[in-house]
Amino acid sequence: MVNSNTSALGIIFPNSYDSLVPDLVNVRLMASIPFASRYRLIDFILSSMSHCDIDNISVMVNNNYHSLMDHLGSGREWDLVRKNGGLHIFPPFVEKGANPYVGRVGALANILGFLRSQKEKYAVITDSNIVVNFDFNAMIKAHVESGADITVAYNEQELPNILMEKKDNGLGYYYTFSIENGRITKIHVNAKDTGIQNFSMNMFVIERELLIDLINTASVRGQIYFERDVLLPQLNKLNVQAYKYDGYVARICDMKSYFEENMKLLDDHNLDALFSGGQIYTKIRDDNPTRYIEGAKVQNVMVADGCIIEGEVEDSILFRGVKVAKGAKVKNCILMQDSVIEAGANVEYLIMDKNVTITAGKEMKGTNTFPVYIGKHQTV
Amino acid sequence: MAKEMIAMLLAGGQGSRLYALTEKLAKPAVPFGGKYRIIDFPLSNCVNSGIDTVGILTQYQPLVLNEYIGNGQPWDLDRLYGGVHVLPPYQKASGSDWYKGTANAIYQNISFIERYSPQYVIILSGDQICKQDYSDFLKFHKEKNAEFSVAVMEVPWEEASRFGLMVADDDDKITEFQEKPKNPKSNLASMGIYIFNWDILKKYLEEDEADPNSENDFGNNIIPNLLKDGRRMYAYHFDGYWKDVGTISSLWEANMEILDPEHSGINLFDEDWKIYSRNSGMTGHKISTGAVVDNSMITDGCRVKGTVKHSILFAGVKVGEGAIVEDAVVMGGTVIKAGAVVKHCIVAENVTIGENAVVGAMPTESENGVATIGEGVSIGDNAKVGPKAMVNKNVEGGEEVW
Repeated sequence: MVNSNTSALGIIFPNSYDSLVPDLVNVRLMASIPFASRYRLIDFILSSMSHCDIDNISVMVNNNYHSLMDHLGSGREWDLVRKNGGLHIFPPFVEKGANPYVGRVGALANILGFLRSQKEKYAVITDSNIVVNFDFNAMIKAHVESGADITVAYNEQELPNILMEKKDNGLGYYYTFSIENGRITKIHVNAKDTGIQNFSMNMFVIERELLIDLINTASVRGQIYFERDVLLPQLNKLNVQAYKYDGYVARICDMKSYFEENMKLLDDHNLDALFSGGQIYTKIRDDNPTRYIEGAKVQNVMVADGCIIEGEVEDSILFRGVKVAKGAKVKNCILMQDSVIEAGANVEYLIMDKNVTITAGKEMKGTNTFPVYIGKHQTV
Repeated sequence: MAKEMIAMLLAGGQGSRLYALTEKLAKPAVPFGGKYRIIDFPLSNCVNSGIDTVGILTQYQPLVLNEYIGNGQPWDLDRLYGGVHVLPPYQKASGSDWYKGTANAIYQNISFIERYSPQYVIILSGDQICKQDYSDFLKFHKEKNAEFSVAVMEVPWEEASRFGLMVADDDDKITEFQEKPKNPKSNLASMGIYIFNWDILKKYLEEDEADPNSENDFGNNIIPNLLKDGRRMYAYHFDGYWKDVGTISSLWEANMEILDPEHSGINLFDEDWKIYSRNSGMTGHKISTGAVVDNSMITDGCRVKGTVKHSILFAGVKVGEGAIVEDAVVMGGTVIKAGAVVKHCIVAENVTIGENAVVGAMPTESENGVATIGEGVSIGDNAKVGPKAMVNKNVEGGEEVW
């Protein structure tokens, strides 16, 4: 291969942090949550990897993964149909009487055989609750140049309130770092510090062989969490480098942040910042362009294809195939695929999941601190 | 394994009457309806009708078309056996030729057709906007035990002399063919869509090729020869939406008709008959505070800050603050800067229209035209392009073109 020195395979954990958005993952998982009018969260990581020639990608699904499998298909839309590599979806491998894995260690232990047989020198590991247009090649380059054993990406931001309020529970671990000269000297688990933190993005670059060794050992010892059980105790032995990311980051930590991170994209600066890199690919639906019928009034909206708009829409995000009938009013809403607002209905601060219908004349309102969520296929 | 019917799509036309739009691309590749190209319609019709093998005959400026078609995946025409194939003229041991006419283009690809040993071949045209179920047409062809069928549309009698006309009896059997006659005997216009029994087509193509006086054209040679020999020829009535978009004004009109599907009959929101296309992959479009959007079609990647009325914006079009776009067809990637006025016109891909520039005008009694700006052209600030202008070169700031 031309770039064999820097070639890397990708490993994505689509279920991480599912427990933070229980409503949204009722019928799906974190990675397939719709975002920014026409995408799913995983599109950002997958497209970023694809643009960096990381075309051997394993998606470690754990549960509720039908919607994700439907979304990914063969991986063609992300240019991941490859004779060598391509997209692999690894469901949990459960033996009789054994429980499915909880943390990364168990998941990766399941595919050690696969990992051993691959050719790439490096592995890039990520979650999918983070929306970034990420240059993995730059991170791999930094990893190689620093001579690190492991490099972890972080950004500088305050910890979201919701994380600090949350009681410690299995899937809810998050990490902040103390860094000296680029090297991570301490990993803080579920810190409650206020102010700007070095907040882990849970993205790792590691040599594939080293990953196999670490997982092998950890799995034998019955360890669960890669960061907490593998990295944290070995910070003096392993050279763990921090990679600061300055680009646009949207983290989905709860329903409120989901709402806000969508709405932030109505600001052109944010939209341009997120989409200025490589194109973000997603599943094609072959919708026709959106039609604005006479009398429609729209202000400050982001709208995907396939919508028919006859009413008034303001400060909202509309996914593909949404219909807003005459006389209907939509304000501060996120309307997912194929939802329908019938004539004269009036909605504000709603997050409507796929195929929701608000029947004629109904009024429904949440508030900016508490947007109301309506589950898939409901009719109000 | 034989295929029942394969399609041959004539896409070689230069489309000279679309001049500024077809300087760098073949007519079937001309963008249409916000996110499509003309060729998406026959290709989608094929796959929706169950035809999985399509030969596309190209010769004029094929670069864009070739790239667009690719392996045919967007139309579900990437098949192990069959699928879509672009067929340019090629060199043979015994010399080579451009496609001399529509019939000759098919003649030169007899070996392609024979690979699939089809019973029937449908000949399609790459310059029409039409939603048609070819399987229904084939059913008709078989029911009539025809050797040749042609799809026809009833046109108003006063316009009939502009078309190739089929005179047919009560059983739809064709008795006479009139090419743009002064005194029409029929108002059944040929849509240029034919179904042939392959053995008949092959025989007539070979005979036609051997005739040194032939123009090698379906309308002028093949069909008259079939008639002369008394072949079983039938006219299939089609009454759906059909539009030849060979001129600037008809292309503009067809685009505008999309905005009024209730009357025009071209409904793109038909889940049962989707029109497929290669997608831009851009983000959802954005309408800013202060913008006005009325009775328009807008697609991915657009950013609207000004006013858009009764218009079609293709992927990635930007309309600046205070700009006015009305009755306009604006193709992908074009930027209309603040204060510009763009009316009653077609603007091709990747055009830049400068601040406060004026392009086109609403029709008046004395002046009526669809201004056209060619691909990649830059119109300077405060420049003016008249309603009849056809612009394919940059216009400097403040300059006027009529």
